[in-house]
Amino acid sequence: MIWEVFRQEKPGDYHKHCGNVHAPDREMAKLFAQIQHGRRMQTKSLWVVPQEEIGEVDDEDTEFGGTTDKAYRWAMTYNNIDASFQKEVAESEEDQREAAEAAEADR
Amino acid sequence: MDISEVKARAGPREFSPADDMPEEYRKAATRMIQFHANSEVMGGYLDKEFTRLAPSLDRKLACTAKCQDEIGHAQLLYRAAETLGVKTRDEMLDELTAGEGKFLNCFHYPVDSWYEAPMIDFFVDGGAMRRQATLKSTSWEPYAHAMDKVCFEEGFHVKHGEDILRELMRSSKKNQERTQEVFEKWWPRILQFFGPTNDESVHNDFSQEVGLKTATNDELRNSFLNMYIPKAEKYGLEIPEYPRIYERDDGTMAVREDDLDWDEFWTIAKNDYPGSREQIGSRRERQEAVEWVRSAMDDWEAGSGTAGVAD
Repeated sequence: MIWEVFRQEKPGDYHKHCGNVHAPDREMAKLFAQIQHGRRMQTKSLWVVPQEEIGEVDDEDTEFGGTTDKAYRWAMTYNNIDASFQKEVAESEEDQREAAEAAEADR
Repeated sequence: MDISEVKARAGPREFSPADDMPEEYRKAATRMIQFHANSEVMGGYLDKEFTRLAPSLDRKLACTAKCQDEIGHAQLLYRAAETLGVKTRDEMLDELTAGEGKFLNCFHYPVDSWYEAPMIDFFVDGGAMRRQATLKSTSWEPYAHAMDKVCFEEGFHVKHGEDILRELMRSSKKNQERTQEVFEKWWPRILQFFGPTNDESVHNDFSQEVGLKTATNDELRNSFLNMYIPKAEKYGLEIPEYPRIYERDDGTMAVREDDLDWDEFWTIAKNDYPGSREQIGSRRERQEAVEWVRSAMDDWEAGSGTAGVAD
């Protein structure tokens, strides 16, 4: 049985997918995950998840974000407004710009 | 873990469901996150009125997108609250329907004109974003993770809200006057959004000691005033004479709290204000109208037999 492994580097971080292990049960999967994925890389915690329990949808199955123009839901659209007066608004706009550019580059 | 260890270790994203947290911490965190989640729901319901009132198709689209975001934030937050093991999501939603769930004061006032849109979407949302930015450093990790996504999205809400204000204040004299009128009605409520000064707030001390809350009501209101008074003035809004705003010796801004109606605030805090009953009641009616959707999904889940995880 294959178990997908998610590693958290530091307390408070997200668990990010880092690979998988072959193991007959959950206990062994946790043990193998420690050896394969938690030995060198900085590790605070590991999750193991049966591969068959993971559901997937990819960009061949669907058009993420839809196919119509949804400019109205991005901060960058409202460019008469200067976001710099409030740090977190400016950061949100910057993050949204990066996300939109990455999605655009991918198309 | 006992309370003294929690206080000693308290820091950003320090505790997660893997830690054995004392009941006092779990209850305080549940109360705080449930309040936040309820506010997202009730804010979403209030906001949806603006889709109908919006003067253009662009505005209607943006308003619907914003409601969708707010309800999504509620979902994230109920999940984060559930991880504390005190209440289930269903219990929290039932409490909200029954009028027991508490939520932000500004969402207890029904809206009926487009002039109110910037009050909620710019001033209230801007204040909420101030608070949410500080909650990225809360000690309950699932709560902080929810804040990451919430803050990512909120920039659009605040900028869109400011864009509405800008548009109104650059249009006809009549529109400017109506906006000023509505602003005067909302301004005291917005100042109360941050709650009473620190020494009067019931849950503040413990929440700060265990790192759930990282900024005081007073600090948040002060930074809000510093950012938003210049914005209001920039668009030609006049700050009402009362409640009086003054500058403290250290140059920070504060409001004379005696000028605010705290009887109304505490009535709202008990869900006893006429607007509270109207807002909770109208949500309950809409919930009942779409009960069949939830039942159909529950029946489907119960019948499919694939929900369990292989061990």
